[in-house]
Amino acid sequence: MLPFPRFSFEAPDTVAEAVRLSALPRAMLLSGGTDLLPSVKHRLFQPDVLVSTRRLRELRGVREGADGGLTVGAGMRLSELSRDAQVRLRFPALAAATASVATPTIQRMGTLGGNLMLDTRCMYYNQPAGWRAALGGCLKCEGTVCHVAPKGAGCYAAHSADTVPVLHLLGAVACFATTSGDLRIPVAELYGDDGRTWLNSPPGALLVSVDIPDAKAPIAYRKLRQRGAIDYGLVLTAVTREAEGFRAVISAVGPRPIEVSGATAEALVDAALAVVQPLATHQQAVPWRRKMVKVELRRAIGELG
Amino acid sequence: MSVRQPEPVPSPIGAYQGKIDGPERITGQAVFVADMALPRMAHAKFVRSTQAHATIVAIRLDAALAIPGVLGACVGENLPKRYGVIPVAQDETALALGKVRYIGESIVCIAAIDEETAHRACAAVVVEYAPIEAVLSIDAALDPAKPVIHEYSRKPSNVLRRVHQNYGDVDAGFAAAALVLEERYDYPGSTHVALETHAALARSEPDGKLTLWSSTQNPHYVHRDVARVLGMREQDVRLIKPAVGAGYGGKCDPFCTDLCAAFLARKLGRPVRIVLEREEVFYAHRGRHPTRMWLKMGFATDGNITAIDFRAWADGGAYASYGVVTSYYLGVFMTLPYKLHNYRFESHRLYTNKPPCGPKRGHGAVQPRFALELMMDQAAAQLGLDAATVRRANTIEANSETCNGLVVTSVGIRECLDAVVSASGYHTRKGRLGPGRGLGLAVSAYMCGALHPVYQNDMPHSTVSIKVDRSGEVTVFAGTADIGQGSTHMLAALVAGELGLLPSDIRVVEGDTSLSPVDLGSYSSRVTFMAGNAALAAVAPLRARIAEAVATKLGCLVAEVTFGRAGSVDRGHGPRVGTGTSDVSWVDAVWLGEEASGPLIHAEGYTPPKIGSRFRRQSVGPSPAYSFTAQVAEVSVDEETGVVKVERIWVAHDCGRVLNRAIAEGQVEGCVYMGVGEALAEEQRYDGGRMTAPSLLEYKLPTIHECPEIEVFLIESHDPGGPHGAKEVGEGPQLSTVPAIANAITDATGLRLREAPFTPERVLRAIERARRKGAG
Repeated sequence: MLPFPRFSFEAPDTVAEAVRLSALPRAMLLSGGTDLLPSVKHRLFQPDVLVSTRRLRELRGVREGADGGLTVGAGMRLSELSRDAQVRLRFPALAAATASVATPTIQRMGTLGGNLMLDTRCMYYNQPAGWRAALGGCLKCEGTVCHVAPKGAGCYAAHSADTVPVLHLLGAVACFATTSGDLRIPVAELYGDDGRTWLNSPPGALLVSVDIPDAKAPIAYRKLRQRGAIDYGLVLTAVTREAEGFRAVISAVGPRPIEVSGATAEALVDAALAVVQPLATHQQAVPWRRKMVKVELRRAIGELG
Repeated sequence: MSVRQPEPVPSPIGAYQGKIDGPERITGQAVFVADMALPRMAHAKFVRSTQAHATIVAIRLDAALAIPGVLGACVGENLPKRYGVIPVAQDETALALGKVRYIGESIVCIAAIDEETAHRACAAVVVEYAPIEAVLSIDAALDPAKPVIHEYSRKPSNVLRRVHQNYGDVDAGFAAAALVLEERYDYPGSTHVALETHAALARSEPDGKLTLWSSTQNPHYVHRDVARVLGMREQDVRLIKPAVGAGYGGKCDPFCTDLCAAFLARKLGRPVRIVLEREEVFYAHRGRHPTRMWLKMGFATDGNITAIDFRAWADGGAYASYGVVTSYYLGVFMTLPYKLHNYRFESHRLYTNKPPCGPKRGHGAVQPRFALELMMDQAAAQLGLDAATVRRANTIEANSETCNGLVVTSVGIRECLDAVVSASGYHTRKGRLGPGRGLGLAVSAYMCGALHPVYQNDMPHSTVSIKVDRSGEVTVFAGTADIGQGSTHMLAALVAGELGLLPSDIRVVEGDTSLSPVDLGSYSSRVTFMAGNAALAAVAPLRARIAEAVATKLGCLVAEVTFGRAGSVDRGHGPRVGTGTSDVSWVDAVWLGEEASGPLIHAEGYTPPKIGSRFRRQSVGPSPAYSFTAQVAEVSVDEETGVVKVERIWVAHDCGRVLNRAIAEGQVEGCVYMGVGEALAEEQRYDGGRMTAPSLLEYKLPTIHECPEIEVFLIESHDPGGPHGAKEVGEGPQLSTVPAIANAITDATGLRLREAPFTPERVLRAIERARRKGAG
């Protein structure tokens, strides 16, 4: 069996202690661990200490928010959210998105916070250490060349968090605790353009909760994946129709989710195709994934009714 | 006075019964190698090649050996003897010796106090390479200008084996044809994905002997090779196969796990365990050969086949494994189940710088079946005939011989065809399901073990020894390797059925070279047929001796004595032996038997009959019996995305006789699901010499969402040579799944896809190409 490297494990009782520990050098936060732990086994990370959020009460619960919305604890399990009556009633697309993560078993371990902070993914990166050594390393970890775009300067690893396109459209805000105080970052602004530095939150920041304002219009969410379970998305699509027209967030096609809008469905599709450019980050062929952006978006619009 | 109602022990033959070793599996108590721990046990891991083809210039172990907790290492030079199950193609060493031939090949094995230390030590090893141009494709392997992967052989070449056979007059057959078709087909490489990864635990005994626990399908062959490579007497090596979490052909060879654990255990004087990581299983491989095929068939106007000319090139990877056998299997079974007089085939099994291919369920026969069954549909369409009717009219008769000398006994193919054609509504629904939905049919045939062992000898292929103890316990000793397929239950049920006992009354001791007599192993669908026959042969004289003693006691005729006829099983007294009017308990019967004729122990071997050898060159392929399958797939195709969904499969398999309905149906379903995976997604892709997805996240095994409803029909043709008439059930049904799905896609879309798997990308490309053609 693929062994873990050695690291120490902490499960503090308070957010303050968790934030202090996660600020230590080579510390990482663990919130579910369904993605992090395989990556640690692959030596993508070599943490000295893993700080678990599982005993933090502040990260639990679904509460009424200030503006008629909900405040969801970042430590809530994905399976809890997909079954939560309030979430299902008020944000059915979010419930659907959480229920589309991997498998029921993983949904029982994985958390909302873990999903928002999910590492970006790539077929050259999410591989065992020996495999990467035969490749000559990947830019996101030990290498100097990106094998997706060898002539490019950046890393194109794909943002793959299933809940994010919906939270982005909803205008949700991520609430962090840090050693220098609390911090609120809209989900729409949480992610950057490079797969190595995709998170705009400061290192060590602990995601405590997500504020979701009341939904103004229904959202359709679609996840394209090769199989009906287990797989990360190939194209993630959330779309909504508002007074001014359509707005969509498309993900799994680059380091950050991409928002597009259009007065009509056709305009939205055109706008999306102009900016969404899937790259060779996945096993599946790029031309096919590019076509699927269009198909998925059209189908999502169709699901809005 | 109560009258005892006769409650005969129900015969286990044909029953829908849980396996006797089922409870230990479902309660997690079955002991696999990875569960085993011995005092002072060390853990070992491998350094693996990062080069596809290179000379090893230097291996620096100093830094690794200096790590606290590291106990020792071995390299290729420590185990230089070449081995391989097939004697004419022994080209492997336990660790790379002098050069590496594929990315992922094991080079160094390091033992340490725990896995993490061994892992760190492996990372600290430096291997210096001098790269050689890698041979990565069929075309490159056929190119004499390319470097030779195995340079030490007498006639260095990257062709491991070329087979060429010609029966009848193929050219005359084509000249007589009303329709001649000629197409190229491509079938991808795929892997087995047994749940349990390969594992071995070795212990050097105080007397210098060796005990090796190995997750293997073939204890006998591994036993022989381990002794040979280690330079030990075979009798000093004890190989034990504990519970094994499946094989599907992937555990037929000796592996570096077996050899390095054994070597290091002897070197270090402490037990050594190696459990492969999932990634490493992809490198150990032995999976389906990616195969390029060219098929030409001639047809008469009524659909009769006038000739077949077939060529196949199999991309075999860096070592031979069972590749010599593959080169025959690619062609031999094309003469079944259709009547054919003129047949020619040529196959090449090639070396390339990739993980070695080997036997995977339906070994070598899956790829040509794909080509043949697609062309059968195409021919029917072009001749304006019904694809099911043409197939049925063309099938061979029972007790016939094929043009390439296969002697066929029982044949249930027509009953198979009738069952699935009727259940699926093939005649009324095919072509009428509307756009994007279709039905497809395919048939196939497979073997029940090989007539010839892989190494030349005239000894039995399978021996079973049975001991009936005076306690009443019956113990069956067999060299069989139950890897989850049910051979242990099969033996218990056959013996129990003869003695009037329940399968759970029988203890089976199997897969231990010191305790059980030889069985050649769980490959080529041979175990039920061969070990089953040996078990029936071994129990018969014991039964006769007990019956005679009971008859003497009861004063009746031996022929009047029945076993288990009035079993009061529920009352805890055990079944009884005797006549309708008087009887004795099972234990008393055993006492009488032993008193009358001595210890109740008997062994018998099964040796296949000397049949099917009309052609001397046809040494690989002939089997004592053949199984037959027909299946219909219903699919839907999303013409916007190219996604194919298999909606339903109807499958009928002629297994001769059902011995256990639960196991038989399970085997058929397992075959079909494996076929669904190969049809839809499973494919080993390479980027240069690097496998792109050595993980279960990216190797797209079907999930329950991709697995259709399956309706299984078991057809009983009662083979004269099989135990109670039984034939194989674990491999044959795999063969026709992929072509049935392909033919269903044709019905749904009009497209003939001649390259598997039918991934969304590939299907959508074909749909778009057809649209452009239609528009142009």
